[in-house]
Amino acid sequence: MKDRLAAALKASRADYTEIRLERTWSSAVTFRGRRLETATVSEDQGGFVRCLDRGCGWGTASFTSLDALPAMVARAHELSRAVRLERPIRLADTAAQEADVALDLDGDVRGISLAEKKKLIEVYNGAMLAVSDAIVDTQAVYRDEVSEVWYVNSEGAALAQVRPEVTVSGTAIARRDGTIEKGLESIGLRRGWNSVHGLEERFRVVARRAADLLDAPRVQGGAYPVILDNELAGVFIHEAFGHLSEADFVYENPQAREMMTLGRRFGKPVLNVGDNGAAAGLRGTLPFDDEGTPTQDTVLIRDGILVGRLHSRETAAAMSERPTGNARAMSFRHAPIVRMTNTYIAPGPGGATLQDLIKDVKVGVYACGAFGGQTMLENFSFTAAWGHMIRDGQIAELVKDVVLAGNLFQTLDRIDHIAGDFTWNQMGGGCGKGGQFPLPVTEGAPHVRIEEILVGGDV
Amino acid sequence: MIDALLAAARSRVDGADALWRREERTSLAFEAGRLKTTGITEEAGVNLRVVSGGRVGVAGTTSAAPDVAALVDRARASAELGEQLDLAFPSTSKFPRVPTFFDRAANASLDRLIAIGQGLVERLAREGCQVNVAIEREVGETAVGNSAGAHGGYTSTGVAVTADVVRIASDDVLMIYDQYVGGDLPTDADLDALVRSIETRLEPALTIVTPPDGALPVVFTPGGLAAIVLPIEQALSGKTVLQGSSPLAARVGEQVFDTRLSISDDPLAPHGPASRPLDDECVASAATRLVEGGVVRAFVYDLETATRAKTRTTGNGRRGIFGKPGIRYTNLLVGESGHVGAQHGAPLLGGGLISDIQDGLVVDDLIGVGQGNVIGGGFSHPVGLAYRVQGGAITGRVKDAAVAGNVYELLKRIGGFGSDGRWLGSRWSPSLRLEGVSVARR
Repeated sequence: MKDRLAAALKASRADYTEIRLERTWSSAVTFRGRRLETATVSEDQGGFVRCLDRGCGWGTASFTSLDALPAMVARAHELSRAVRLERPIRLADTAAQEADVALDLDGDVRGISLAEKKKLIEVYNGAMLAVSDAIVDTQAVYRDEVSEVWYVNSEGAALAQVRPEVTVSGTAIARRDGTIEKGLESIGLRRGWNSVHGLEERFRVVARRAADLLDAPRVQGGAYPVILDNELAGVFIHEAFGHLSEADFVYENPQAREMMTLGRRFGKPVLNVGDNGAAAGLRGTLPFDDEGTPTQDTVLIRDGILVGRLHSRETAAAMSERPTGNARAMSFRHAPIVRMTNTYIAPGPGGATLQDLIKDVKVGVYACGAFGGQTMLENFSFTAAWGHMIRDGQIAELVKDVVLAGNLFQTLDRIDHIAGDFTWNQMGGGCGKGGQFPLPVTEGAPHVRIEEILVGGDV
Repeated sequence: MIDALLAAARSRVDGADALWRREERTSLAFEAGRLKTTGITEEAGVNLRVVSGGRVGVAGTTSAAPDVAALVDRARASAELGEQLDLAFPSTSKFPRVPTFFDRAANASLDRLIAIGQGLVERLAREGCQVNVAIEREVGETAVGNSAGAHGGYTSTGVAVTADVVRIASDDVLMIYDQYVGGDLPTDADLDALVRSIETRLEPALTIVTPPDGALPVVFTPGGLAAIVLPIEQALSGKTVLQGSSPLAARVGEQVFDTRLSISDDPLAPHGPASRPLDDECVASAATRLVEGGVVRAFVYDLETATRAKTRTTGNGRRGIFGKPGIRYTNLLVGESGHVGAQHGAPLLGGGLISDIQDGLVVDDLIGVGQGNVIGGGFSHPVGLAYRVQGGAITGRVKDAAVAGNVYELLKRIGGFGSDGRWLGSRWSPSLRLEGVSVARR
């Protein structure tokens, strides 16, 4: 494969050429209720070429027939030359790397039979179904893959990477009369077969909670002090702030650059936020991004002040900043764009606990887990999986339909207390942007308190 | 490819069907008014489903020259664990005619596509606004066949033109988006409509006004309707019905909605972006009336869900290269019985439904649609893009407001169907006015 790449690269007449080839082996087993829905093994392969001539636009080609590689390099070059730009595209310098990186396969999933994978997910599915008669439906999914990726560019980079991935996830649906509630569990790891055993209790817990939510009241809408649990705090920082820190949102827009000026205060001094593609063993972790730039820990907010943003080589050059290793492509079907990796809120000083965050809250909401979240630029909406009222400094009754809505700038500034109990939350699924979904990412956070935020439910 | 695969499978399994698809896409991206990226995508693959020992299995590959025997092996291995199902493949190869391939779209040169984008960029340019335009042209070929002897196929073209205008003023971010999606290149009238649709929403959005509060009339534009239509789409899917979670499951023949409401799935709709003569399981296309005169009539099915529900497939099977076929709507038409699917109305914010609204909203986009418990019909969303209506006229954009209600309650009495019916992706609808929607400000 390396020889084919080198030959194709050598034949290119473009000023800059990069080629990515991928071969992905994957398998999946899905249960719906007691019924096994699918058990499949798939093989996907293809390539992506990107060319850039000086003063021209990007030309790209994606293809599934590897024999077409030389022709595709020529096509991408031709497409680049079809566009003339007055302000040329520049790429920030990055040291050309040569490396062979095989992540620990941790029990190569390719060597495990579909029957064994079925047995495993059937146990987790069964654990959810056995919790109560109120559980009327479930979905349980086992998914794994091993992806081999080769990358070369005309500046001398030559990388080969092997990336494993394994996910087990479940949805439990509880129903009584017209009331339907759900519980979700999802564990996604850049690991293999050895790391997804003994998780029954986690599936039982979400099914039990779905059943409990049938009897829980809807939260009374209004503005409350809200404590986010680790999972929801992580999803919040990814959705509400992370996307704005992606430089492709700002680099071509003077007003957006002004809004995201480095040095602007975004929060109280307790707030520290970053994105770390080099963190050990996480789902969003990669040694190099899809432009061959090494990944790194990029601080975005330090002591409440905006100090950094996420870059590709192109956005970094346009803003006279340095590439951060955040140019990622979902697969050979896509060009690399600026994406997050492992995004986090750093633990607060002093090792505060959840108890410390709630002890002086008279009436508030403890919002836990995430069913989903959407940001529309400066406004967002997040749906917690469940919640508890906080009364007189104590966690009180279970409540449901906890939807948090607000304005990003106001809400970040209202984060007034951050605990020391940081965890990475390794979920399956992933992030979507520009038609590329789901890209594996991780979020991490401790418990976080927001002085006041609107909680919907009943508006 | 299909024939060789079915021949190889024939002696080794009880039955099989397969889909082969090849797509070539050309895409252009104008970023902040400049054409930055031009790309092509060529993709081909095959998906095989087998019935073996009474069980169903599936396998797929994007390999250009797949090892046919190995693919059959993988499908059989999948079937060993697969679901027990008495799947009967259709045997007819007679399909209706519907235009899916347009020479003008297939033959459009790169320069022609660039000119369309450049024209839009120039017409949408505004001081202080960023304009992004993307154009995608796809030429495809689909072949489907099965061991019962049916085979069919078609060539197709598709064009998608999307445009957005982003305006940032201090911390206020406004984004107005629209799209053209069709089988053929957009006509001048289509491009005019796209530009005017953005303009009619941009101008009044420049003024920010206080949101109202209370149970009010709200006009949902074709874009804003997503939150209203989504629970109904889920409830009308045969899969949800089978699973026991559809609130409409036991209500066929009942008057559930306003007597004027019609919802249908029509793969043969003229100008429908999702039109095609057969589905991905070799079933002839036909329209399915789902709701007529407010009465629930039918649900959509693919082969497997229809077999399990002991009914007939409605030809809504859709499959990718990997995984099993599943149910997918084709062209979904929502509107007033007898007036559904007409040509584009002129872009008109409010659809002509606001002149007698004393105080209310026009909702064009909501945040968080699809989160939470969709199927029950309850919704509660902050507005993404919405306008206040006072004294019969739009007075400005509202921020920091939320709307809530229950779709089943609200659709019992529809305040009016707009004159602005249009395609938005593969859904056609006009604006709908709904009464007594709960509106809150924060």
